[in-house]
Amino acid sequence: MNASNLRECAPVEISDSDVMAAMKSMQGYIDITPADFREVYHLAYALAKERMMAAFKASDIMSTPVHAVRTDTDLITTATLLAEKGISGAPVTDDAGRVVGVISEKDFFRQMGASQGETFMAVVAHCLKNKGCAATPMKNRTAGDIMTAPAISASAEVTIGAISALLMEKNINRLPIVETDGHLVGIVTRSDLVNAFCMLG
Amino acid sequence: MHYFKKMLGNTQSPPGVAMSEVLWSWLGSFLGIALVALVHYKLLDRTGLVMIIGSFGASAVLVYGAIRSPLAQPRNLIGGHMLSAAIGVTAFQLIGGQPWLAAALAVSTAIAVMHLTRTLHPPGGATALIAVIGSDAVHKLGYLYILIPAGLGAVVMLIVALLVNNLAQNRRYPEFWW
Repeated sequence: MNASNLRECAPVEISDSDVMAAMKSMQGYIDITPADFREVYHLAYALAKERMMAAFKASDIMSTPVHAVRTDTDLITTATLLAEKGISGAPVTDDAGRVVGVISEKDFFRQMGASQGETFMAVVAHCLKNKGCAATPMKNRTAGDIMTAPAISASAEVTIGAISALLMEKNINRLPIVETDGHLVGIVTRSDLVNAFCMLG
Repeated sequence: MHYFKKMLGNTQSPPGVAMSEVLWSWLGSFLGIALVALVHYKLLDRTGLVMIIGSFGASAVLVYGAIRSPLAQPRNLIGGHMLSAAIGVTAFQLIGGQPWLAAALAVSTAIAVMHLTRTLHPPGGATALIAVIGSDAVHKLGYLYILIPAGLGAVVMLIVALLVNNLAQNRRYPEFWW
């Protein structure tokens, strides 16, 4: 995803005629010009957005405990865990429990020939073009072999605004939340964010 | 060029009001000024006091014609007139010998003080000015000018505004008191 895909959450643009129509529907002489009203609206909207984006922190919305795997977990176990839990990815930790990477469907897709796009359909297209394909080369490998590293992670204090920006910017779906020493404490996924914004009304 | 471009303006006038608003504005200002003028001509005529001063005509525009305006609220109406009156009288007493300077100082200082006290009320500028350029009767009042006519007139207009502006279903006054 490039920068032009990053859509800013801008306020709905209102026109002078919208403001004029609204003023007309109110009784009495409204002692403000449409342009001044729009200026107030934009400034107030920016403040409201700032307040909402800082209303929740990672610790308020993260899922915990986290389903994680270790670098030496084999891919069969990893894939089985993801399938059983109905999740599409998980953090990968080292022996000491520190987050060193993230493994997700995308990493598997890449192994299965989806060199571009890293989507399930890219895998399908690859298999059709190459008269079949196999996941067998992955059989004896571990999570540490195919994970995406280093992990993009954040502290429990980071705001939902910063998390949203990070997920958009890095085009990732989950963000492991770690202590300062790298120990895993939770995970924030896109659906956690959707829930958070829902709570904000 | 930016400096001159700013002179072109950048937006439009707010919409005009409904005919009902015109009529309520007319009624309120008629009653408000009538009461102030009655007190002036029927009660105070032989006492040397005055009640009606030009600035109340300007106040009527705001408190009966633009009742939602922050400039038209009680804090501004009362505070703006009384503070400006004090400044106007002081300006006249200190430098009345130079009326042009006293007049300019009275109005400009009144505006500054109204800003600082969040009591900006445009007719206050007239109240300050009249304290300098007014008749001998006004000059003779001295600091009483702050109470009568400035304070009392503003209170009378406020009472009428409270009574009349709240009669209509979809009009309300004030937006805030203080």
